[in-house]
Amino acid sequence: MTTTIKRIRGGINPGHHKETAELETVRMPLPSRVIIPMLQHLGALCVPLVKKGDRVLVGQKIGDSDKPVSAPVHSSVSGNVTDVRPLIYSNGMEVTVVEIKPDGLQELHESVVPPSCADRESMLKAIRESGIVGLGGAGFPTSIKLSPPPGKMIDTVIINGAECEPFITSDYREMMENPQYVIEGTKKVMEITGAGKALIGIEDNKPDAIELLSSLVSDQDGIEVVSLPVRYPQGGEKQLIYALTGRKVPTGGLPMDVGVLVQNVATVSFIAQYFKTGLPLIRKKVTVDGSAVANPKNVEVLIGTPLKEVFEFCGGFCDEPRKIIMGGPMMGVAQHSLDDPVLKQTNALLAFGESDAEQPKESVCIRCGKCVAACPMSLLPLYINLNVVRGNFEGIEKYHVSDCIECGCCSYVCPASRNLVQSVRIAKAELRKAAARKQGGGN
Amino acid sequence: MEISLLAGSSPHIRSGESTQKIMRDVIIALLPAAVCSVIYFKVQAAMLILVTVTSCVAAEYAWCKITKKENTIADLSAAVTGLLLAFNLPPSLPLWMAAIGGVFAIIIVKQLFGGLGQNFVNPALAARAFMVASWPGQMTSWQAPGWDAVSTATPLEIMKKGSEAAGELPKFWDMFVGNIGGCIGETSALALLIGAVYLVARNVITLELPLAFIGTVGFMTWMLGGSEGLFTGNFVYHVFAGGLILGAFFMATDYTTSPVTFRGRIIMGIGCGFLTSIIRLYGGYPEGVSYSILLMNLVVPLIDRYMIPRSFGGGVAKK
Amino acid sequence: MKLLKTFKNGIIDENPTFRLVLGTCPTLAVTTSAINGIGMGLATTAVLIGSNVVISLLRKFIPNKVRIPAFITVIAGFVTIVQMLLKAYVPALDKALGIFIPLIVVNCIIMARAESFASKNPVLESAVDGLGMGIGFTLAITAIGSIREILGNGSIFNVPLFGESASPALAMILPPGGFLVYGLAIGVVNLLTNRKVTTAGCGAHEAGSGCDACPANCGIAASGKEVQE
Repeated sequence: MTTTIKRIRGGINPGHHKETAELETVRMPLPSRVIIPMLQHLGALCVPLVKKGDRVLVGQKIGDSDKPVSAPVHSSVSGNVTDVRPLIYSNGMEVTVVEIKPDGLQELHESVVPPSCADRESMLKAIRESGIVGLGGAGFPTSIKLSPPPGKMIDTVIINGAECEPFITSDYREMMENPQYVIEGTKKVMEITGAGKALIGIEDNKPDAIELLSSLVSDQDGIEVVSLPVRYPQGGEKQLIYALTGRKVPTGGLPMDVGVLVQNVATVSFIAQYFKTGLPLIRKKVTVDGSAVANPKNVEVLIGTPLKEVFEFCGGFCDEPRKIIMGGPMMGVAQHSLDDPVLKQTNALLAFGESDAEQPKESVCIRCGKCVAACPMSLLPLYINLNVVRGNFEGIEKYHVSDCIECGCCSYVCPASRNLVQSVRIAKAELRKAAARKQGGGN
Repeated sequence: MEISLLAGSSPHIRSGESTQKIMRDVIIALLPAAVCSVIYFKVQAAMLILVTVTSCVAAEYAWCKITKKENTIADLSAAVTGLLLAFNLPPSLPLWMAAIGGVFAIIIVKQLFGGLGQNFVNPALAARAFMVASWPGQMTSWQAPGWDAVSTATPLEIMKKGSEAAGELPKFWDMFVGNIGGCIGETSALALLIGAVYLVARNVITLELPLAFIGTVGFMTWMLGGSEGLFTGNFVYHVFAGGLILGAFFMATDYTTSPVTFRGRIIMGIGCGFLTSIIRLYGGYPEGVSYSILLMNLVVPLIDRYMIPRSFGGGVAKK
Repeated sequence: MKLLKTFKNGIIDENPTFRLVLGTCPTLAVTTSAINGIGMGLATTAVLIGSNVVISLLRKFIPNKVRIPAFITVIAGFVTIVQMLLKAYVPALDKALGIFIPLIVVNCIIMARAESFASKNPVLESAVDGLGMGIGFTLAITAIGSIREILGNGSIFNVPLFGESASPALAMILPPGGFLVYGLAIGVVNLLTNRKVTTAGCGAHEAGSGCDACPANCGIAASGKEVQE
């Protein structure tokens, strides 16, 4: 059984920088405090279940929401709640956070027992309770993803081990250190969705992981490890589906519309571990790297640990940091404060010094068309930018603005260093505003 | 420790590509042809190149000074325009005319429309068109390569005369290496192709436009260019004589005045090829590359407007 | 004083060629030499003064609904006179200007002045307006003609400037040269005359009544902020 790989459109080769790949993950000691936001997923904000002064235990649910698209959050330490306050994320969103001072005992909460699941319903319920969200970066609640509406058949599960962003190696470490969990989790996901086939896609700059996982699935029916050519954004959901199955997810559609479910390797690995131990999502493998970090390494961090303590654990800064990025350099979010916490979907923390952080100056567009060639979604970034710069939002949707996956290829290749992705974000926001106006007017 | 962090939209890394580097690559790609022009047309060619490049760069510098804009000569685009303009001039042209052409290209065609990235036609070609209209005699008097400045006809002019003059045509090899009459930079197909390979290798240009252009000219002149019926035309000479190689690889691919999409570039290439063939075979001029490119330049905004590609997995582009 | 202002208006503030951009067809077509420019300009001026005077005289009698045909009839009368005079006394110029003399009938400048000025103003003022506009037009196209003749033919009023061996830029007396010089001339004139600082928007500032009386409430006059147009 072999899968023919379709070449994705556009894309770039931004260089690997995966120097931390062969560094065994180290577990970070208990931080001095943890800050746990009530929103670590795409969807509804959770309501804190604890208040200032409460004592909480490891794995205790401290926030939940009754909205369908949500995932509960759990305490990653045992200790006392010192504060419940609002915090402004680096993306400008305000969320409530629960701050806990660990007492060092790390007492487990009574709810931490392996779930006993007989049927699909109870398994989905358990997965929701685990607090798991898509760990690839988007943070969409996994339980929702695993329960497609009736009528949508999933025939193929794709496990995303592409890890196409530079610097990040946390997924690679997960595959190397917990390969059996990755396979087990994959089987679990296949069982829940009823899919007969699973493809684990890994970029071919990780030959060890491909070899290791291939050897483990050789006796498994329906699971195949596929080596993908290195090309950013190979790990983009739509791109990965196309590369592995040749199916195109329609505009505004979801993978389930073409019978596919995509899960990150770290997500499925966690699912397997959760069914074994019952410990909810309270820690995360994070790659800490960048020119300003003294000792880059892969760290297993408790969720809620302030970024500052993570960097301190990695030897502090060897250069004055000018830019801290949560996530990869292509799609990650620049952080405005080192007091912000590590989140569920954080897979990397990068710190860059002055010379690497400074963005080149924008110059005029010379219409070279490199952004058009690089765009994996066949968009025309230069025209979106042109219209946004002129404040001309009328009719901008004809450039398929909402299809942009914000992978950053266009900005990366632009010889004029224009902030193309940023202009797409502005255009998307304007379109949302216009849609809201329209809706408001109609009612 | 209080640290100040830079915000900013992703991506946080850039390829390091710049306008200046691209223009530098274009200049490097034009060097073989420049060397050939000096070999064949001696001091005249060297002087023309020097004068047009100097006048273009000086005009850009002066414009930026006068209008108090940021100085843009460092992006090298003015130098590229000057070089391309020189390549489109006959060797015997008085130097002051070349200088005026350079100023015209930069001030009138480029800067008055907003500078780099804003001009709607290729500056070098528009300047050439202006010069042909202004000094038709000087702009179409050709001389054979060498020191003696013997006046000669270009292969395309010979072909225009019809079959009885076919014996006067230069040998293919002479034509391929550039040992024929013509504009100083267009004669050596070999040197231009070396430059084109460099540009493609450096990912500065893509091949779809030049190939569509050359292919269309080749096919149309083969089909319609012969005197003994269909498919008897001398398409090899049509492709390698004249300015087609220079035009297709270096002028039509000019970023600002060519479409940004693959399909758009194919359309532009075919359009250029069609117009070139029509002008050469049925028009009054022996050569039509520059006018065809200028005409297609004008429809580039239209091509781009109607060639918005369907997004990946998306529906048809809405009107 | 008002007459002087009206006169000046046509030459500078509302120059038909550079400001109102009217009558562009003859402007582009006949300005291949300075003499053509003057000829065309004077012929137009003559028609303009005549038609303005007559239309002003008749302004109370022309029914509103048929005013345009009435204007054209009056203008056509004067054009015929001018054309006959040209044919009789300067046949060479008549030949050079060709179709553009009869086309003065539908010249926008004349139509515009008839419509917007002569049909609303007394005779004397209309005559002065016609004179001002005519001189403005004449000066403008003579300037364009001179530039094109110097650059494109190396001469001015048919007097060679650079000697026999010169090779002027022929394109300047071809159609592209017309567009080039006209466009650049508009730009230069704007640059030179529009540099005066004016306040944006409202007339309240100029009228001196200030912002309080103005409903627009832009605050520009009050803040004393002035913008350059």
